[in-house]
Amino acid sequence: MEEYHPGDEVAFNPDEASNCVKECIEGIIGGVDYSQNKVNQWTATIVEHSLTQLVKQGKPFKYIVNCAVMQKSGAGLHTASSCYWDTTTDGSCTVRWENRTMYCVVSVFAVAVTL
Amino acid sequence: MSDLAKEKAARLLKKRGSLSSLGSHDIKAKETVGKTKDSISTVSYIDDPGHHDDNPRPAVQMENTYQLGPTRRFPVTAVNDILKDVLASYLQEEKYEAELCRQMTKTISEVVKARVKDLMIPRYKIIVLISIGQLGNQNMRMGSRCLWDAANDTFSSHTFKNSSLFAIANVYGVYSE
Repeated sequence: MEEYHPGDEVAFNPDEASNCVKECIEGIIGGVDYSQNKVNQWTATIVEHSLTQLVKQGKPFKYIVNCAVMQKSGAGLHTASSCYWDTTTDGSCTVRWENRTMYCVVSVFAVAVTL
Repeated sequence: MSDLAKEKAARLLKKRGSLSSLGSHDIKAKETVGKTKDSISTVSYIDDPGHHDDNPRPAVQMENTYQLGPTRRFPVTAVNDILKDVLASYLQEEKYEAELCRQMTKTISEVVKARVKDLMIPRYKIIVLISIGQLGNQNMRMGSRCLWDAANDTFSSHTFKNSSLFAIANVYGVYSE
């Protein structure tokens, strides 16, 4: 069991989280083309792996990970988020990834847990 | 653009409180049986002015509330209705246009957040995520997973479609003990 030290409040570190997520994405859909029957499995795996890696950092946060995988067809996509939380401790980060045949957008929201 | 210049630009953007897009363009070319597959990744995060630059506020020591759970739970159906209402009213007649939809996503997310706040649910933190996309011949899959307290935290989701665009709205409510 990891020990949490009360009073050790650290703000969310978006850089660390984004690196974590980028590696997860690369590992799962790194060199493949879009495939209709596999995309369901991909989104589930990306989200699960990212969540597991984030939790391994051992910080006192609740996480919400959202992943969208879209086939490249010239269509456009816009994403926006609005959050009502404590800006000193909570934070978010979005990672956009693309290859030849698809886009992948992963958003991570971290909400601090007061211990 | 060199890394140093990029970082300086990002810091300036952060100070103005706008979206900073640190493009870390790792263009990896993987050779697989003669085919080259490129991948580019970018990271972006929104900051309030002076969020990371100032000395962080000392952590507020909360007093014990002796509450075991929320007094009022997150009203999923009410939020669902808000989403249906807002998406329909803003997007019913709209055609997909890049500039319009960029502004629309930001506006809709702010509006939804304001209306959920008006429900006055105490001790709940709210996250609203809106995606608007053009209807083409593409396929898209969106998935979401959360690590939280399943007894108190929940989410609400709604999709809207018209002849030229589709919109997805997700609202997450996280209880702050």
